[in-house]
Amino acid sequence: MRQLLSFSLLSFFSLCFAVLTAAADYHEQLVLRPLPLSALLASFNFRSNTTLSAFEAHNFRFFPRSLGQILQHAGTRELHLRFSLGRWDAESWGARPWNGAREGGTGVELWAWLEADTDEQADHQWLTLTNALSGLFCASLNFIDGTRTTRPVMSFQPEGDHPNATDTNTHLLYGVLPHEVVCTENLTPFLKLLPCKGKAGIASLLDGHKLFDASWQSMAIDVRPVCPPEGEGECVLEIEQTIDMVLDIERSKRPRGNPIPRPLPGHELHCDTSKPYHSGDTCFPADSTANQDWSLSQVFGKTIKGICPLTDPNVPPVCLQVPDSRSVYISNGGLEKKNQDGMSRCFEIEPETTNFELLLPRPEDLPADNLQAGQQVENIVKPETPLLYAERSFTGHGQERGGVQTILRNPSPDKEVEFIYMESLPWFMRIYLHTIQARIEGGPSDHDPLVQEVYYRPAVDRARGTQLEVRMRVPPASTVFLTYDFEKSILRYTEYPPDANRGFDVAAAVITILSPNKNGTRSATYNLRTTSLLCSLPTPDFSMPYNVIIFTSTAIALAFGGMFNIIVRRFVAADEGPEVSVGSLKQKLVVPLRRIFARVKPGPR
Amino acid sequence: MPRLISGALRLRRDPRILKLPPYLSLLCILVGAVWLFLLPLQEYSRRTYISENALLPGQVHTYFGGSDQHVFRAYKHEVDALAGKSNAEINTKLAAIAKGLGLKVSRQNFTYTSAGHVYTGENLYAILQAPRGDATEAIVLVAAWKNARGELNRNGVPLLLTLARYFKRWSLWSKDIIFLVTPDSIAGPQAWVDAYHDAHDSARVDSLPLKSGALQGAIAIDYAQENRFESVHIVYDGINGQLPNLDLINSVNNIAGGQMGMGVALQEMWRHNDQYPDRLRTMLRGMLKQGLGLASGPHSSFIPYHVDAVTLQPFGDGWQDEMAMGRVVEGTFRSLNNLLEHLHQSFFFYLLMQRERFVSIGTYLPSAMLVAANFTIMAIALWIKSGQREEGGDKTEDKDGKAEGDESTITTTTTTTTTPGASLAVEREIFLPLGFVTACQFLAFVPLYLFNHAPESLLTPLFTIFALLNTLLPHLISSLITTYYTPTKQQYQLIKCFSLLLLGMFLSSLATLNFSLSLLVGLLASPLTFMRPWPSSPAMRIACTVLLNAIAPTAVLVASAAYWQVGVGEVLREAAFAWDVYGMYSPVVVWCVWWPAWLAGSVIDLGRPVEGRGKVKTA
Repeated sequence: MRQLLSFSLLSFFSLCFAVLTAAADYHEQLVLRPLPLSALLASFNFRSNTTLSAFEAHNFRFFPRSLGQILQHAGTRELHLRFSLGRWDAESWGARPWNGAREGGTGVELWAWLEADTDEQADHQWLTLTNALSGLFCASLNFIDGTRTTRPVMSFQPEGDHPNATDTNTHLLYGVLPHEVVCTENLTPFLKLLPCKGKAGIASLLDGHKLFDASWQSMAIDVRPVCPPEGEGECVLEIEQTIDMVLDIERSKRPRGNPIPRPLPGHELHCDTSKPYHSGDTCFPADSTANQDWSLSQVFGKTIKGICPLTDPNVPPVCLQVPDSRSVYISNGGLEKKNQDGMSRCFEIEPETTNFELLLPRPEDLPADNLQAGQQVENIVKPETPLLYAERSFTGHGQERGGVQTILRNPSPDKEVEFIYMESLPWFMRIYLHTIQARIEGGPSDHDPLVQEVYYRPAVDRARGTQLEVRMRVPPASTVFLTYDFEKSILRYTEYPPDANRGFDVAAAVITILSPNKNGTRSATYNLRTTSLLCSLPTPDFSMPYNVIIFTSTAIALAFGGMFNIIVRRFVAADEGPEVSVGSLKQKLVVPLRRIFARVKPGPR
Repeated sequence: MPRLISGALRLRRDPRILKLPPYLSLLCILVGAVWLFLLPLQEYSRRTYISENALLPGQVHTYFGGSDQHVFRAYKHEVDALAGKSNAEINTKLAAIAKGLGLKVSRQNFTYTSAGHVYTGENLYAILQAPRGDATEAIVLVAAWKNARGELNRNGVPLLLTLARYFKRWSLWSKDIIFLVTPDSIAGPQAWVDAYHDAHDSARVDSLPLKSGALQGAIAIDYAQENRFESVHIVYDGINGQLPNLDLINSVNNIAGGQMGMGVALQEMWRHNDQYPDRLRTMLRGMLKQGLGLASGPHSSFIPYHVDAVTLQPFGDGWQDEMAMGRVVEGTFRSLNNLLEHLHQSFFFYLLMQRERFVSIGTYLPSAMLVAANFTIMAIALWIKSGQREEGGDKTEDKDGKAEGDESTITTTTTTTTTPGASLAVEREIFLPLGFVTACQFLAFVPLYLFNHAPESLLTPLFTIFALLNTLLPHLISSLITTYYTPTKQQYQLIKCFSLLLLGMFLSSLATLNFSLSLLVGLLASPLTFMRPWPSSPAMRIACTVLLNAIAPTAVLVASAAYWQVGVGEVLREAAFAWDVYGMYSPVVVWCVWWPAWLAGSVIDLGRPVEGRGKVKTA
């Protein structure tokens, strides 16, 4: 196996070098952006292409063969796979990276355009695809069955170019697993798809311990065909792998051997010395918003192990988004290039470099202990305000019915936001569509309806979930409450999972914000997901059925005995019946005995 | 089997069987009462154990301490400086500190009116979002600015802030942690929990702008004591006698008592030698609190929403400092954080008699059920009795009557059966009894409404008037009835039958909800089983009247208020507050279950039946 691997690697490398000389089909880039409240956003992006003809001829270069074969087998035109954990704190971190296009809700999310003639065939191919991906990524994707699959109508648009696609032969299927816990076993296969694995280049920073300790992380795989404008070349199949993570700098800087946040020694605490009671044993902490100094090896636990030799040399591998006023130290072999906007800089790494280190010191102009929130913002790039804030939670209590409330806030003072709100709910949440209601906080919404279009596909018990897509708008600088009620159904007792009392996860709602295009149509510009929910259903006490069975069995046995006795007995008056006396008893005993004796004794033939 | 059935049928006709119920009822009451006193014995109670394996209490090292104490001292200075300031000022300062820690902070206003008073305030809460989690589950840490006794929570609030700063450093939280500071211990938490579950009246209580997931547990810190402490007092009584999951109490017990090596006390038993008297006292105190159904701390409001919660109160003079208290909370939170499922494994119905001994519902429930059953038995007996022709008191006459009955009735049984005397059936006149019992039940809404809606200044005079009226009322009603209706003995029997039937029904269903309340009311109402008109013995009538007035709801209220040295007005104000703010239903039980039964019993006692007018009817 190893021989085979090394052989394939060798051939791979030789091929890659051949390609490099022609046109670089692979590049990778890491963008680091310090965020407020001592957080750091690290966006890893790996992109490689293969021409469609090479792909169809099973001629894989940068495109991972394992994934490519699955896609071919399942007839997949475009694929999007997301593994996410944690939540994006939009209030402090601002707009999402990639405008939210490279993230999913908590757990695993998969959507793909499949080429199939009929819906049944598409379902069949979807089954093949989920099962194959499940094996490839060590995730429970095979649990995306009919009840978790929907066919969104408005929310998703293909990202790639599908020149010869028609509505009838491409099918969009969308599946989500909110309860799937993303962990290292999903990272390893993810890294294996990269040409340099995790051995060289920026991918060498990726380590499960740090990635899954992040406050928010999202791993994405996007496969899409990209065609150049008419007549300028061949269509290519592009695979883009993205990892975004928000590290808590303070937490990441803790050494791996000693991750416990023990209290610092008293003299190392950052105190607010202006307090009148400040003394050796009394300290009002002033450390929470500081801590903007870090280095790559501190936050990732290691340095970049050179650059991946296959990558496009024109794309700088590391970029850092801090104002130009801050100084950055880099190790030998790196070259800093500042961008014109004054807010970011990129670093070239020479091919021979084996360890690349980057260090962002504390802002010089301010004394470390006296950082105020206002001044601190100037040391980092101010986060962009997102187009929309969304927060979803359950209302009501009890196990019979409940409600969902989504608070949608448009922070823009003058621009209206139009978006599509999509929910794919499990079948056991039966929503009352007539209760769906959107209201503006404070004022009545009589002039213009907020909800413009609703697409609703009701659930079928145990077969498919509810699909709800709502096209709606939020006027400028206002908050809209979108609410609806639902009823909780009672499951069969074998349908409960082993941890039934935990509740059932409800997938995140997908919000796709639309913006007008030049030609008058509207297309998605920004995506966001709400958090997932935990819905508690009426749960039986699972020892109860057995108690009930035992109890009823006993009761029935007792009752049946008596009943049966009465039913089969013939009632006669006491004087009509045979006389019960010692003589008759004796007679009863004697007659059978005689018969037996008669048999034992050989009688005359 | 058929022999058994026919035997039972024969037994049914035996007149001796009708003599039995009073003794049976008495036996039920006695057994029920004695049963209760057996519970603290070693053989009848069980040792507590952790049922939910995921909790793993006391299995983690706690690291809270060291320089966190410096921070604690600083926060304590801040809190001390805020003492006596207004609610809004306090919240502004605390919100600034919490925001500085990187928490999401929000506030909520609430206003309650009860007994003419307006209770208003502003809750402050901060959410520590689980670093890697999703907003699906949350645990709550509560510190009321003023504890249930009205003292400033001098150490509790700084401890909450210090813990918030400490918890923020950990990345292991699987659930969000909500830090809640309320101005008082009852109304504030109630407003917050109601709003969290959208069960609030939005005219009085604001909705929460910031929310997290399903609440899995809550711990309240009530640490008003200044100096070092010795033990932790776990307060666990919820509203209407609901209790938190026993696993939570056991976990705290395990962490504080086992891991931290401090004492643990329950039900204000500051010293407990684990002998019978102390166990009994703990149990009875617990039952009394459960029976009253009052909120006992900030945790109480959480329990009706199936969020298990306890309040931790340090007490005594020892060597444990604030950090030790913080470590107890840390350990408990680590345990709650381990929970994969909502607490459901262990008991929700239990009586604790020592920190490691309890009895579960299966063991104690028969006690209240037997007391409740005595009323039902008597009611059924009276129903049967009232349907039979009245027989003379003498036994010889009894036999005669039986013989007469045999001759005069055409019985459906065959002549061969040797059933002794199918007695005469009598038509029951149920209009007056039904009307009377219904009227009593409706009359009960008068005191219920009065005491829950009168302003506080009127409560004591109103109560005095009502208590006096209450003493006279049975005499009044009795004379009215005898004057206008001239009820027979049978009608008195039926009044008692219906009244006891209702009482038995209410109490036995209440026993499954609030065992202690049912038992208390059952025992106090037990003399009603034996009330009957005493037409020929005025001495008995007077004795019974005195007894009934001594166990009247009003008299019991006055007596208990005197015993605990609080004014009756204060008790009533507290009850009205409980009714208005958190929906305590004890007043309903007292006025709508107990009081009508008492009234009916008193009227029966004073009854003067005329001799039977019952028509003889063949069966």
